[in-house]
Amino acid sequence: MSTLLPPPSEIARMPADWVEERSGLLSIGKYMLFRNVPKDISWLQTLGSALMTVFILQATTGVLLAMYYQPDPNTAWNTIAFITNDATLGWLVRGMHKWGSSIMVVLLFLHMGRTFLFGAYKYPREMTWITGAIIFILVMAMSFTGYLLVFDERAYWATVVGVNINGTAPILGPALSYILMVGPEISTHTLSRFYALHMLALPGAIGGLIALHLWLVIRLGVTSPPWSRMKVTEGDV
Amino acid sequence: MPRLTARERRDRYQREYAFQKRHGKSFFPHAVFHDTIVSLIVVGIIMGMSILWWAQFEPVPLEPGVERAGGILGPAYEGRADPGVEAYDPKPEWYFFFLFELLRIFKTPELLIVGSVIIPTVWMVLLIGWPFIDRNPDRRLSRRPVALAVGVCVPIVLLTLTFYGSKAPGAGGAASQAPGAAAFAGGACSTCHAFADAGSAGNVGPSLTDNAVDYDLAYDLIANGKGGMPAFSGTYSEDEMKCLAGYVATHSGAPAGEKGPEAATAAEVYPAACETAGGLFAGGGAAATGD
Ligand code: HEM
Repeated sequence: MSTLLPPPSEIARMPADWVEERSGLLSIGKYMLFRNVPKDISWLQTLGSALMTVFILQATTGVLLAMYYQPDPNTAWNTIAFITNDATLGWLVRGMHKWGSSIMVVLLFLHMGRTFLFGAYKYPREMTWITGAIIFILVMAMSFTGYLLVFDERAYWATVVGVNINGTAPILGPALSYILMVGPEISTHTLSRFYALHMLALPGAIGGLIALHLWLVIRLGVTSPPWSRMKVTEGDV
Repeated sequence: MPRLTARERRDRYQREYAFQKRHGKSFFPHAVFHDTIVSLIVVGIIMGMSILWWAQFEPVPLEPGVERAGGILGPAYEGRADPGVEAYDPKPEWYFFFLFELLRIFKTPELLIVGSVIIPTVWMVLLIGWPFIDRNPDRRLSRRPVALAVGVCVPIVLLTLTFYGSKAPGAGGAASQAPGAAAFAGGACSTCHAFADAGSAGNVGPSLTDNAVDYDLAYDLIANGKGGMPAFSGTYSEDEMKCLAGYVATHSGAPAGEKGPEAATAAEVYPAACETAGGLFAGGGAAATGD
């Protein structure tokens, strides 16, 4: 007695069906891909997904850098030099992480400008703007903590100045400076603290907020441009 | 148009958006196609910048302190950080230039927190709270005069601050750790005098980087003024003036972090007077490197 195999097309679909039956993930994916967006959305509305791309790029190159980098004042600079000079394509990984951060800030400003221009922060998308604004502030904090990690002269002194600026705030300022530097001056602990913030805490928070931001975008849909001619006419319900 | 209540306006928007969506197009492949093109361009730009940066920086020797040449995108990195080298011209990433310029504008000790804390905090609050500030329901720019004004002014202010911040030779806070440096940089002196050690770029009075001034002359000028320079005997205490004069005598006529030819003339009072004067004059502050 021979067992009849199902036709090949059905076999090919089996893993997907297995996942779908247990998680429902496929229908969520399908919903996200095949939902409608207004007919007249513009090229300006691609900036958000470009930001998403750059964020993924930063995370990937960041993990690669972390495989060689050592957050210790005695070795940090040398590991950066090693990555730049000796590691295979290390210069490209470091270069893309470095320039990716600048491009990310440019894109953030453009994306914010776009949503501002479109009035896309108005009802019902207020929360989308607020999550975005917090992401923006956290990305600036990423840049501040990342700058020290190279541990060259420029990074070191820019951080000293940055932390001192913090210290001018009344009451909380000096305490915050002390907490940031883990003491009165930049030391081994400062570098580990900045590293932990830069590669764990901040990207974790940003990743979570991006997920929330995108959930809101999908739930609420993207706006059509304010110059849209697609208006409800009488009789269309 | 009849006046609508807020509830009616919201319902109306939802109806309109539902209509636009019903007559819309599928996210995939239409929007995805555009998104992919733009993402590829952006990744291409990042790779292009990395390659240009790499192709132009000189082979990088490992010894600290060797000058590292770079192209238009700068060197691979600079010399290894050495907390012992007291003065260095710190430049932040370009997107913090606007903050640095704010600090240069509000650099007197009383105003410092305006630039360092108050304005940035107000900006952050306005940014996060903006959807609640702009209650105008209309989305067309022609019907949003206030938003339009904000949308034009904010980029102009940011770009202007960034531009001047990028040209600043050293930020107001770039003073060395030497006693008196912070007081010089944070006080009235730096408004007029360039002085490398204090990270100051004023150009009203003579440059103290180029001109060595001995202790007695410095003290006399600070206390009594001369020509365009005001007398500070009413502003600063005896010890504070001694500290500033000592600091100027010790470091004038020399590059940042080095002693000038007149340093010996201040040996008796400097840096002792700065300790007595205390506060900003004692220097170091949170960044004291303990030398
Ligand atoms: C890493 C940061 C960010 C990512 C990955 C991101 C991603 C996105 C994406 C994919 C969209 C939909 C497509 C588009 O409009 O481009 C979107 C929409 C939106 N974003 Fe962001 N965004 C980020 C930061 C921000 C910031 C800083 C703000 C504002 C302060 C913001 C406010 C908005 C708003 C209001 C919308 C709704 C636009 C609409 O429905 O037309 N986002 N975001």
